[in-house]
Amino acid sequence: MMRHVIETDLALCVAGDLPFWRSALVNLHVRRCDECRDLLEALRADRQELRRSVDDMPANVDWDQLAAEMTANIRVGLAAGECVTPRERRVPTISWRPAAIAAGLVMLMAGAWWLNIPRTDTEAIGRALRNMATGGRAISPQEESGPVVGASSTGVKLVENGGQMGIEQRGLQPVMYSVSTQGSASARYVDQDTGQVTITAVYDQ
Amino acid sequence: MTNKIYMALAAVSALSLHAQGLNHKIDFPKDSPVSLLSADFGNSNATARGANLIEVNAALSLRNSGQKRIRSMTLMVSAPDAAGRGSVSVPTLDAGPGETFSVHIGTRLVRPLAAGNPIVEVTLDGVLFDDLSFFGPDMLHSQRSMIMWELEAQRDRKYFKSLLASRGAEELGKEMRLSLARQADSSQRGVQMVRGRATNIDAEREAQFAFLDIPESPVEALNGVARIGSSLAGAPRFEVRNRSSRAVAHLEVGWIVKDQQGREFLAASMPADLKLAPNQSGQVAQDAALRFDRPVSIQSMSGFVSSVEFADGTQWIPSRGALDQPRLRPLVAPSPEEQRLSQIYNKRGLPALIAELNKF
Repeated sequence: MMRHVIETDLALCVAGDLPFWRSALVNLHVRRCDECRDLLEALRADRQELRRSVDDMPANVDWDQLAAEMTANIRVGLAAGECVTPRERRVPTISWRPAAIAAGLVMLMAGAWWLNIPRTDTEAIGRALRNMATGGRAISPQEESGPVVGASSTGVKLVENGGQMGIEQRGLQPVMYSVSTQGSASARYVDQDTGQVTITAVYDQ
Repeated sequence: MTNKIYMALAAVSALSLHAQGLNHKIDFPKDSPVSLLSADFGNSNATARGANLIEVNAALSLRNSGQKRIRSMTLMVSAPDAAGRGSVSVPTLDAGPGETFSVHIGTRLVRPLAAGNPIVEVTLDGVLFDDLSFFGPDMLHSQRSMIMWELEAQRDRKYFKSLLASRGAEELGKEMRLSLARQADSSQRGVQMVRGRATNIDAEREAQFAFLDIPESPVEALNGVARIGSSLAGAPRFEVRNRSSRAVAHLEVGWIVKDQQGREFLAASMPADLKLAPNQSGQVAQDAALRFDRPVSIQSMSGFVSSVEFADGTQWIPSRGALDQPRLRPLVAPSPEEQRLSQIYNKRGLPALIAELNKF
């Protein structure tokens, strides 16, 4: 049984790219093999057709530019396809770790604030923020001025320069209380068992 | 990670929240008629939390080491670097020579952090005896208040004793029940007083005082005005006239406010140091503002002269008859002595009250 010449050798032979001795062997085989001869003739016809097509191309074609344009057109086509193709909505995954770290930091900051900042300072900052938010309309001017003495059902209190003084009587509620325009506040307590009256007062001087 | 957070929190707590020892100093003059038997500061403590948070819970046991009966006593409470001063007074004492009595001091202080352990000082400001003589440095001007309490006590004891003598125990009991009912009905509002810059208050209008005249009062108040705003009133000023034959050194005017519901309450007192010769007039103007804890729409204001101190140190206070005016009775608080007596009646009954009245 006779072995045929492989197709690539036939194509190379047509193009004249086979070495001499292999080209001679191919030609020898083709003379005796109709099938390979037909294939060789077909390849030769394709080559001549290709040469004619090349002759039809415009002169001085910049192949590199042509290749770049083709690449760009391919990319544009792919992008357009992405636009019209329905896509799956991606749900961003939230990791619990950053949330836990943030919550911990907030707790730490709040704890440090509670432990270190006096309540009066916190209140003053709150008042200042409210004042900024309302353009200064929410707080009457005298709130920030000078010492303040107060009397209420919880007793008497003096607030001055971030410090405080309050006086009470063992959890008793005062039976009466009052303030004076000379900067004092007083509260009166009555011992329910003995009737003894105790009067507490604070003074801003 | 969790362990690190716990460690950080513990570190912050350890650095910031550590209880400090609370030093206390009780300083009575060497010649004081009151001596200290014992002082229990057991529940007192100081905590550093951005500032020194000092809580004082002290029980002092004291003895009258003088020769006169003590009617009232005032102790001054203070701490270096702390705001202002405080006081604890016992106005209804009757401690004879050698007798003991106790005073409780409950104080909460916030002061800036400072080196060293915080210290609380308790000093004697004054002692008033039954003959109205006084002992003490009187740093807080407590002598005036203590004399007023004693005068009120003498007035009310005299009234109740005369009632008992003339109309019997039943009437005395009825009077006590009325007093207890008035005390239960008294309406008060939480108030704050700010001194300075009162003329800058956001006042909506100026309102006039309608002064209640007490005919027996040595001083008459008139032509008073104050600026009124939302839940506040300030910069009161008024005229006074000494209509007595004695020189006046100090007076006090009660400031009554009526709200939008027509309810009246005693909002503040307006003390004034001014010297007024007989028939002389003067002007009182105070740079202070009164602010209410809850919203109050002030409809009107009134006032009355509640006490007068003469140049010789003696005082005038309204009689019970004067205070029985329908406008004043529900507003003026009963004296400390009336509150003590009514509490004895309420707790231990009429016989105990009568026994108490018969003591002095």
